[in-house]
Amino acid sequence: MKTSEKLTILADAAKYDASCSSSGSSRSNTAGGIGSAAMSGICHSWSADGRCISLLKILLSNDCIFDCAYCLSRRSNTLPRATFTAEEVADLTINFYLRNYIEGLFLSSAVYGSPDRTMADMVDVCRLLRKKHRFNGYIHLKVIPGSSPELVRQAGFLADRLSVNIELPSEQSLKMLAPQKTKRTIMVPMQQIGEEYSGFQRDRMKSRNVPCFCPAGQSTQMIVGASAESDLQILTLTENLYTRMQLKRVYYSAYMAVNTSPNLPALTSGPPLVREHRLYQADWLLRFYRFQAHEILSAAHPFLDDRLDPKVAWALRNFDLFPIDINRASYEELLRVPGIGVTSARRIIATRRLCAIREEDLKKIGLVVKRARHFITIGGKYLGDHTMSHQQLVGAMRSAEKPGSIKLLRETRQLRLF
Amino acid sequence: MTSSIYLHDGSFEGMLSAVAFAVKSGGSVHGIYDEKSYSVQLFDMVVTVPTDSLQAEKLFSYLKNLGEYAVQFTINGFLGEERAVGFHLYQMVQLCLRHGARALELYRDDSIRYLSQLSRRVNGEAHRLSGLIRFRELKEDIYYAPFESDCNVIGYLARHFSCRMGSRQWILHDVGRNISLHWDGSKVQSIEVDSAFTTYVLENGEVPDTHLGNTERYYQQLWQSFHATIANPDRENRKLQRQLMPKRYWRYLVEMRGN
Ligand code: SF4
Repeated sequence: MKTSEKLTILADAAKYDASCSSSGSSRSNTAGGIGSAAMSGICHSWSADGRCISLLKILLSNDCIFDCAYCLSRRSNTLPRATFTAEEVADLTINFYLRNYIEGLFLSSAVYGSPDRTMADMVDVCRLLRKKHRFNGYIHLKVIPGSSPELVRQAGFLADRLSVNIELPSEQSLKMLAPQKTKRTIMVPMQQIGEEYSGFQRDRMKSRNVPCFCPAGQSTQMIVGASAESDLQILTLTENLYTRMQLKRVYYSAYMAVNTSPNLPALTSGPPLVREHRLYQADWLLRFYRFQAHEILSAAHPFLDDRLDPKVAWALRNFDLFPIDINRASYEELLRVPGIGVTSARRIIATRRLCAIREEDLKKIGLVVKRARHFITIGGKYLGDHTMSHQQLVGAMRSAEKPGSIKLLRETRQLRLF
Repeated sequence: MTSSIYLHDGSFEGMLSAVAFAVKSGGSVHGIYDEKSYSVQLFDMVVTVPTDSLQAEKLFSYLKNLGEYAVQFTINGFLGEERAVGFHLYQMVQLCLRHGARALELYRDDSIRYLSQLSRRVNGEAHRLSGLIRFRELKEDIYYAPFESDCNVIGYLARHFSCRMGSRQWILHDVGRNISLHWDGSKVQSIEVDSAFTTYVLENGEVPDTHLGNTERYYQQLWQSFHATIANPDRENRKLQRQLMPKRYWRYLVEMRGN
């Protein structure tokens, strides 16, 4: 089979993976080599679905021995199968890289032979790139559940980022939809990566000669909407992954119906994009706004409101904490006001050092005044509308949200440089 | 006292000289412009400031002492090529003379906000283009990338690619401004690109076939097919694609050819 045919098959099979980030690693070029990695990540193009293309995202093979209900490449489907050789992947990566099409490689694979056999081949691709071609660009390697610790270790020395996909948010769903995967085969490598990552990082503080282990950290992905878990379960799991396993990112992938199965949503159902979007917003609150999962959702409200930004929803439920005064509130308090982001909160603090903020300054500083005004006072003056009932306020905040297509997929954009 | 307009020769040093001159004059300032972008109006008090390296240097080292923001606002302000920037830099210096470096974060001030936004725009475009640049492998084993940009960011791009491409030679060509930089594997130098070649590139968004390396078309096609395949039809969102990758950049993008 020609490389071009393989590329079509194996890029098509990889398109369901949400992550394409190339951030978090800083690597410089070495003598005789090519490439470097930029800390902030770089998008090289955007595909017709509006997602950033940063890496050559492909599977090494789609010839799977597993039979996950939600996956197109599963064993029981009849479709063209292909497997790249290590040289083919290296050649594509290098040549795309030299033309500046990509930041590096994102290699994943279906399981062929055995998890270890697959993982060993993936590690070989990385070794070929790093050692023979002296490639210093970004490599994101997916770890096959059930891979041996030794292979995971080797992978960590070669790749910038590793990820083990959680796939489904509970063991029960895993049993039902991904029968050959277990919580153990997923969590064990994840834990190992977490521990080695922290361990090597600690040692590197003492000596620069200690090798880098997976310098951009690890991420994972779960499918949303294929199984019955609530947003509360998903977000709590996410929080644990961030705090206990030191994950860098958790990605959510709205389930796309590709197979028929009694245990899955119908083929005709579209991917739950709004839900995915709300989860990313809530995830954002965990990572940058110092929120905890139980503040955003509770057993009484286990799902995110699809018509409200989760931060707005939180503020409306905790309206007794507001209004707060722009000239007196702490950084943490400012961050919790809808319409104030990390940048504008920082600017408020910086400006206040010099002079008090006036009402007419708010917009200039970058607040979304339309949203923030209901939650703030300035010099004792409430900027919202006193006569509005709480119900009316909720209505106003809902209609202030434009769920247009642009906002929906915003998460796929990479973090801007400050 | 009437307020004056100061003109400079359009170079970085010239701009700094004019700002320094305006500050020193102590009078009220109406505008500071590149003389090429300015036509004299009746009643304008116009002063043409000769470029004075020493004054420019002095001002620049004052700005350096104020810290990174001041330097960024100044350099990016210049690279942003906006007509009004001289005046805002003058305002910035005045504010800093009064309040010190803290003034650089005074976002309620119009000039600081202007400079901060302009600076972000320049950084943003440099960052964006570091991804959108497309090299073509030429016969002579040189990688060549034509592009057009709103701000003058070729310097930032050259810095980026010189750390990245190792011993491979490249040429970055800002076709709009007709500036080219060449990396020979150890240093960056300004060069001139043949004008017939440049005209062809400008018109076609691509290098003439006769100059392309043997495998160039092959990898272009692979990239095009990868680019088309990796999109999810179920999530198609061309509007978002255009928003994140504005059409004005498509001309030299191999994958957007024919779109
Ligand atoms: S292991 Fe499961 S999810 Fe992965 S390719 Fe095979 S069937 Fe698909």
